[in-house]
Amino acid sequence: MEFTWTSEHRDLRVAVRRLMTTRAPVDRARALAADGVRHDTELWATMAEQLGLQALDVPEEHGGVGGSLVDVAVVLEEMGAVLHGGPFLSTAVLAVEVLRELAPVADAAGDLLGRIAEGGATVAVALAEDGRAWSPGTVRTTATGPTSDGAVRLTGTKQLVLDGADADLLLVLARTDAGARWCLVDGTADGVTRERQEGLDLTRPSATVRLADAPGQVLGDLDGVAVADRVRSVASVLLAAEQVGAAAEVVRRTAEHATTRRQFGRPVGSFQGVKHRLADMAVRVEMARSAAYWAAFQERGSADLELGALVARSYCSDALLQTAKDCIQLHGGIGFTWEHDAHLFLRRARLDATLLGDTRHARERLLAHTHPDLQGVS
Amino acid sequence: MSTATTTSSTGTGTGSDPGARRARALDAARAVVASHPPTSTPRRAFLEACFDAGLAWVHFPEGLGGLGAEPGVQAAVDEILQGAGGPIPFWLNPMGYGMAAPTVLDHGSAELSERLLRPLYVCDELWCQLFSEPGAGSDLAGLATRAEKVGDEWVVSGQKVWTSSAHLARWALLLARTDPDQPKHRGLTYFVLDMHGPGVEVRPLRQMTGEAEFNEVHLTEARIPDSHRLGEVGEGWRVAMTTLMNERSAIGGGSSVRGSGSIGSALRLWRSRPDLHTPELRARLVELFARADAARLTGDRFRIEQGDRPAGAEGSIGKLTGAELNQEVYEFCLDVLGPDAALYSGYGPPDETDETDETGGPGGPGGEPVEDYGRLFLRSRANTIEGGTSEVLRNILGERLLGLPGDVRVDTGKPWREVPRG
Repeated sequence: MEFTWTSEHRDLRVAVRRLMTTRAPVDRARALAADGVRHDTELWATMAEQLGLQALDVPEEHGGVGGSLVDVAVVLEEMGAVLHGGPFLSTAVLAVEVLRELAPVADAAGDLLGRIAEGGATVAVALAEDGRAWSPGTVRTTATGPTSDGAVRLTGTKQLVLDGADADLLLVLARTDAGARWCLVDGTADGVTRERQEGLDLTRPSATVRLADAPGQVLGDLDGVAVADRVRSVASVLLAAEQVGAAAEVVRRTAEHATTRRQFGRPVGSFQGVKHRLADMAVRVEMARSAAYWAAFQERGSADLELGALVARSYCSDALLQTAKDCIQLHGGIGFTWEHDAHLFLRRARLDATLLGDTRHARERLLAHTHPDLQGVS
Repeated sequence: MSTATTTSSTGTGTGSDPGARRARALDAARAVVASHPPTSTPRRAFLEACFDAGLAWVHFPEGLGGLGAEPGVQAAVDEILQGAGGPIPFWLNPMGYGMAAPTVLDHGSAELSERLLRPLYVCDELWCQLFSEPGAGSDLAGLATRAEKVGDEWVVSGQKVWTSSAHLARWALLLARTDPDQPKHRGLTYFVLDMHGPGVEVRPLRQMTGEAEFNEVHLTEARIPDSHRLGEVGEGWRVAMTTLMNERSAIGGGSSVRGSGSIGSALRLWRSRPDLHTPELRARLVELFARADAARLTGDRFRIEQGDRPAGAEGSIGKLTGAELNQEVYEFCLDVLGPDAALYSGYGPPDETDETDETGGPGGPGGEPVEDYGRLFLRSRANTIEGGTSEVLRNILGERLLGLPGDVRVDTGKPWREVPRG
């Protein structure tokens, strides 16, 4: 049943929180960004060795632990609280979800899942192109001449590839004569050029990936667009959980500020103008938490999961954005400084709103999904 | 009131273990359904059978509508009774079933419980609540209705307001000031008032929709025997708080349905009037839908996470979000209707058969029933006021959920008499 928390959920949360707050606090995310080092390889190894986090979403037959979506959501929530920007979302969520779809028809996908599960590979998912939107139906990158063993040559430009400059491997959605297919490309292969993007979000790195006759491999004969659509549903739920973690942390920090900051001889949180805005922030977080976790409790591939994903995507992204804006307002001048973390949360919120097909599109699909008869608007 | 604390609302049963008490309650429920099939038995006879079998409030003592079982057993019993077509007692006598019964049991004498509980449950006697006053809304503890002890009676004068069902009720839960020289919370006492006694005048209060859902109740030297006092003199606030907590657990209930409530009303309108669709309205509708669903799921989540524990401050979230959503949803509906929203369905006396708030509109272009959106729009303005204003709820959330400091108060510790009012 939804919202039934087990001791395993709680233990996992405690363990991930301990790891993230000690090894990857927001200060660390800030330092990595400042140094241009985007990937904490030691942390990545610890995640795999001590907690097995990369194996959570990987099915057992591919060397993972086959955890539930709720387990993964708990991990993402704790990562959101510290604005973690490492390769977990790109590799252990997006790439794993694509590979899970492909594994039944491509041995290489199953093998790669095993490597990810043990923390041995990072994989970036390259879908968006010039418009930077998650629009799998319109990709123009080509994969030509599949040979009998699936070898292809890829040409095209991918945008907003999360962790794209650092990942070992790239999962590229490209057009073949047979339709859109997912292809695996080595990040260091000839013909692959990767540039870090100067992003609005400082703590989640992304890259432009140019492919010029780059060698790759088609992973099976599945409709790549349908795969992308299913992946988007699951990833939307998990991204929403990450947003819940970030938003809850924003509320916690803002409430702490309002309790300690004094003006007119009183803590500013005693003024209703401040208190009421904070109450609204807290309400938003609780509603977002309900939407994200209800979806996470649904069965993978079910209509309920898809619907829950659309509700979560429609609600949680805006919830984090508004909460981050309120945080800056309630911190006053200090909240506008570079040194304060408030802007890092706002930046993350803004980036998130554009990922996986933006929230506007999620709303369009939500009404169509819930009430197909309500679509007809001229 | 020597028995006030000796009658407990739990654990006075047979001394058997909880599992046996549960099994006994469920057996009793099945037996009542078999002997008094609710679909073919008059409502009163069915309720009498339930009460006498101890199924009214299973955690009450035997003989007073209960079996001394654990409170959590009630849900399973209700499933049997209501599953067979039995009525939902809470909705028949909301103030009585949800608030008065547990308060009388916990804070009144055994004689009072014996006199009041059975007629309450079988709806021979309806109840109302005399709390709010013209001068005491959000600041309920500042209320001014006076009760003075004269001999063995209390003499009560003052005015109450926003009383549902006052014109139908036989009994009222009354909160009155017995000591104006104490700080406001400490000078209150809780009573059961006979609404049919002298000095009680009920006047309907017409609201902005044109109807009169509520009443004003004027008390002019109304008399209450001391045996109808609930709790000790000066303990009224504490008793009222336990009453309000009981109300919450009585309402409880199961999981909600996606797309029901006010958003369901908006979706029905949207479906019935495709001629009025615009992209701007569509965007608003789907934003409201997502928000309504997140709110609905939050209610479900709190119910599941809370289990048998008493509700915390997060309980205020449902009231706050539900009220504001209702207002926005009905505003949306009027925007959809455009010029049609200029019409109103009527200001005459309310239709007695109209027990829901979802009928009675002028009908769509094809003659299909369309809800009374103008009335719903106006009625929803009260949602952010009644049962705790949104401002008070935000204070509660800020202070109890987030731990923010309270506002500076000027009445703390001051005798009620010296606090400015108006």
